[in-house]
Amino acid sequence: MLNDHAYLSIDFLAGMTIFMIAFIWVATMIPGLLISLQGGTIDYDAVAYRTGVILVEDPGWPSNPPWEIKDDLQKDDIERFGLSIEKDTPNILKLSKVERFFCSTSFHYPDDYQHRVIFGDRPYLFNISLSTFDATMSHSVGDIRPDGYGYIRRLVKIKYPSNSTINAPNFRNSGLSANVTKHVFSVQLNCTELIRNITNLANQIPAYQIPAYQINPLRDRIMVNISNMRGAGVFHPGANNGINLSAIEIFRQNPAQPFGKVREYLGPDPMVSVYIDGGTTTVPALPASVTDNVSVIFSPGFFYGMASDNTQLYINYTYKLEQADNFFNNSFTIPYPYDYNHVTRPILKEGVLEVAIW
Amino acid sequence: MVNSDGQLFTIEGIAAGLIMLLTAYIVVSTTSMYTPGDTHISDMQLEQLGSDALRMMNTPNSTAESGQSMLQNIIKNKETERFRETFLTFCNSTTAGSYDNLQLSADLYYRTGTNTVNKYHLTHSRNLTGGEHAVRVTEWVHLNDCNNLCGVGLRPGVQTVLVEVLLWRD
Repeated sequence: MLNDHAYLSIDFLAGMTIFMIAFIWVATMIPGLLISLQGGTIDYDAVAYRTGVILVEDPGWPSNPPWEIKDDLQKDDIERFGLSIEKDTPNILKLSKVERFFCSTSFHYPDDYQHRVIFGDRPYLFNISLSTFDATMSHSVGDIRPDGYGYIRRLVKIKYPSNSTINAPNFRNSGLSANVTKHVFSVQLNCTELIRNITNLANQIPAYQIPAYQINPLRDRIMVNISNMRGAGVFHPGANNGINLSAIEIFRQNPAQPFGKVREYLGPDPMVSVYIDGGTTTVPALPASVTDNVSVIFSPGFFYGMASDNTQLYINYTYKLEQADNFFNNSFTIPYPYDYNHVTRPILKEGVLEVAIW
Repeated sequence: MVNSDGQLFTIEGIAAGLIMLLTAYIVVSTTSMYTPGDTHISDMQLEQLGSDALRMMNTPNSTAESGQSMLQNIIKNKETERFRETFLTFCNSTTAGSYDNLQLSADLYYRTGTNTVNKYHLTHSRNLTGGEHAVRVTEWVHLNDCNNLCGVGLRPGVQTVLVEVLLWRD
């Protein structure tokens, strides 16, 4: 006899089907629900880690010419900040990149940093700080940290630029024919030797670390100090012979171009600083009276547009005296070489970089 | 005879389904769970810091002294105290000047004259009790001359040894 045992109603089937479809739909959403459950800390830590990697292990973009030599009018060309010297030298930062990155007059917090180093969809707030262990450098950009934030700490070494100090009496010319009022002293930057021929360095340290110790005139700051000029005269020693620095000129020579002048210091120049007798402000114009010493600093990138890695550069200083004398002059001998044997290369300095994101 | 006993009507089924779904959603969305990913973040930060410290110690500060790094000199001269102080200074320093509280235990792995791998305990700042949540970081250190190095029986000649550091926050 037929009965209704084991029968399912249409109503129950419809309800069960709808429930199963909805259940499957919810089940597929659960992984997404769990991700949102993990909270913002992971997100902030991840952004902090990424920012730390970009700053410490990346040289930034553009790299050629490097972003740090872009002036304020060209800062829109900077796509990504990065403080590493090269991509092959992680954790070794370049001082010129560090100073440019933390320059508060060039870059404004947070807008100029968010799309060049923080990235991400959210407008994160942040604090980035860097200091050396010897406390000679301390930089910071950003807000004061709140109670909760994502964080990463990285250890770095900072490469400082080279400089050369020339004792003027050691380069005094001699003879009656050299007893004149106009004297020229030349400093040679042999880019081929400095950038390409680094076999001496390669014998001492692993090849991948070479950019950390290399002098690259095209990208580094170059500083030439000339001291003790009052002792350079012979017949009129001391500072009473009216020493005047009358010109600083840059000459260039490479296989493709003839020897010739490419630049001259004419007055205030954002890329060149000329300090006389320990002054703290650059001289407004030449000629300028000198008592004892002259320091000239060429900013990173000053030589970039005028030279390449096969170029010889000459920085010629012209001095004029009131009375003829033998003086600081190497125009009859050889230029003073700004090379690995004649410059001071500061050691790398250890420091710590912290990134806090919230 | 078919009747309505034990049957679920459509509207009741939908209502029951929605109630169950809503309950499940509320339970899941209000549950706070500490996932393995959170633990990994702090581990990653420690590992990165330890790796940075070893890398910095193994990077020469200049081309003087044939480009030898501090870590190479420490191993060559068996300066275990210097290793401990330098590593802790590197890891614990902050830009604000405050000091973190990281501890270490370091070992050196090398080949002996009989070509077996040996372990030499370099130094430690605290004894490992087993309860620490330590991370492990390593650095290969190239040594040009291992003669009588450390007095621990390294194979003479050129050798690349492994420095292993366990790092944890107290």
